[in-house]
Amino acid sequence: MGEKGSTQTLIGGSEADKPRLKALGVGVYDPGFARPLAAMMHRQLLRFRYARSRLVNAILFPLVWLIFFGLGWSAAFNMAGGLARRLFGGLEYLEFLAPGIVAMSVFTGGFGSGLGVIWDREFGYLKEVLVSPAPRPALILGRILGDSLVALFQGFVMALLVSLVAGFPGPVGFVLELIAAYMAALASSSLGTLIALKMRSPEGFHMVVNLIMMPMLFISGAFYPVTPLPSWLKALAYINPLYYAVDLSRGLVYGVHNTPLLLDAIGLAAVTAASLALVVKEFSRIYIA
Amino acid sequence: MSSANEYAIVALGLRKRFGELEAVRGVSFKVRYGEVYGFLGPNGAGKSTTVGMLITLIKPTGGEAFVAGYSVVREPVEVRRRIGVVFQDPTVDRDLTAIHNMLLHARIHGVPSRIAEERAWELLEMVGLEEHAYRPLRDYSGGMIRRFEIARSLLTNPRVVFMDEPTIGLDPHARTGVWDVIRELKRRGVTVFLTTHYMDEADKLCDRLAIIDHGRIIAEGTPSQLKSKVAGDTLYVRVEDGGVARLKRLLARYGEVKDAGNGLLVLVANDAPRLLPEIISEAQREGVRILETRYTRPSLDDVFLLLTGRRLRDEGGDWRFWGRRVARRLL
Ligand SMILES: Nc1ncnc2c1ncn2[C@@H]1O[C@H](COP(=O)(O)OP(=O)(O)OP(=O)(O)O)[C@@H](O)[C@H]1O
Ligand SMILES: [Mg+2]
Repeated sequence: MGEKGSTQTLIGGSEADKPRLKALGVGVYDPGFARPLAAMMHRQLLRFRYARSRLVNAILFPLVWLIFFGLGWSAAFNMAGGLARRLFGGLEYLEFLAPGIVAMSVFTGGFGSGLGVIWDREFGYLKEVLVSPAPRPALILGRILGDSLVALFQGFVMALLVSLVAGFPGPVGFVLELIAAYMAALASSSLGTLIALKMRSPEGFHMVVNLIMMPMLFISGAFYPVTPLPSWLKALAYINPLYYAVDLSRGLVYGVHNTPLLLDAIGLAAVTAASLALVVKEFSRIYIA
Repeated sequence: MSSANEYAIVALGLRKRFGELEAVRGVSFKVRYGEVYGFLGPNGAGKSTTVGMLITLIKPTGGEAFVAGYSVVREPVEVRRRIGVVFQDPTVDRDLTAIHNMLLHARIHGVPSRIAEERAWELLEMVGLEEHAYRPLRDYSGGMIRRFEIARSLLTNPRVVFMDEPTIGLDPHARTGVWDVIRELKRRGVTVFLTTHYMDEADKLCDRLAIIDHGRIIAEGTPSQLKSKVAGDTLYVRVEDGGVARLKRLLARYGEVKDAGNGLLVLVANDAPRLLPEIISEAQREGVRILETRYTRPSLDDVFLLLTGRRLRDEGGDWRFWGRRVARRLL
């Protein structure tokens, strides 16, 4: 649709009014689907540009993990030698950790974007959006797309930083890593937005995110393989979207993975699709009271 | 639905219940195209709730309403395509600049970008913000945000504009600016639905208005019709000393006359503007020379007092601010 689809027609009203109104340019526009979607996507990118501190945040946290956790354990595992290598599928510990850290960074970023939905309600911008004639699904999907691109950018910066520590996986490996990162970004942005739509306050959102983010990180296979885990923990890992993101990322970059890569991809896509469906349903029915 | 087509807004028994509290209790009114129509009422009267239902964001628990000929309940998108809205509380993206906020508004409303850019600058200029267009709204004062929002609401050239307390928190100069914008809109044939709790504002701007209290319309009409509900206007007529007795006799025909001394007579009567020329020509015929005439009219505050036994006054900033914070939490 876009600009060509925008029509300017006269409003229904008494016949006598019409010529006069036309002269004044009083019109009714049709936003279509693509333009509001693109607009909301653009908004998220603009917001990111104007709020650089968010980038620092999203990079700093995983970087701290990589350096203080990764370098520390890497030194310890090096003492264990071949046994440790076998545990990590033949990889150096830092190599094992690197894709997980990137996926984790993207996931934290995507999840956190849900907070924006809550601030929009808090600061009233939600009303400005809801009172527009744009299709509600276009508005919320555009926003999620924008958030996922922001998260991808964070993943990109993170991947660069990580390769300084763990070694550059080569251009192909790097691009594959970003593809995995984008799938993770979409899944986490959708999920984060879904949670935010169900929450009423920033505090509530933080609580829920902290509550599920920690276990999600630890049983994602990012820090240690999930294979030796007791079966109930393993079962939890297999319903953890971050697990699929990490496994996919590591598989694409180093060829080391636990579940078939196609299954990883399908797992992430399924989480994304289910969240998006619920998001659209939730957002479409919003009356503010 | 012929009446729905002649009128910009038709409300038929609108109701809204929030749990125990019925905030709007059966409100009916009609606004013709091109009219400036006001809702005047104290805090918590149900003004914003009524606006919320008319702009399709609050679901009525009873009754019906049509805006620009479309049902707010069954055809909300058609309604949204035809309205501009200024909410009571700010609804901007504070992290973005004014111009970005404008252009985003244009894009989610489907205004072609060529037109949008031009109009955005025109409108920013109209409200005196073009120099601040590239500043993030975080840096704007409350009054500047208000003016920005008024400009933004007009970007789509809407035929019906809703403004919920558009001058709240503005200094007198900016208030006059907003009034000028509303008058200009009227001149262009745009329908304006306005809520306010300033009686002078309602009086100056509205073609017709409804006084709303506790979720009900307690009076409706033109400002002068409403004010004529109050005992009447006060006319002051000053004559040469010699004419006092004759004029007194003449004025007594219209109502009770008081002699204020120094040749000044005071009469309380209905409809002074119609009466005054009549009195002057009568006096001339009797050969009484009139030196000075003037009259004062009752204010809408007097009308509110008459109808409710309470005064309609701004309760003061702090109280309102508190109330609004609570309301926002509830949303
Ligand atoms: N979402 C809501 N949930 C519960 N009660 C509400 C809600 N919105 C408004 N109310 C209540 O409904 C009543 C009418 O509120 P409304 O905002 O319509 O008043 P108003 O006339 O706009 O007042 P003000 O001049 O303060 O803006 C108030 O008692 C208010 O507390
Ligand atoms: Mg209000």
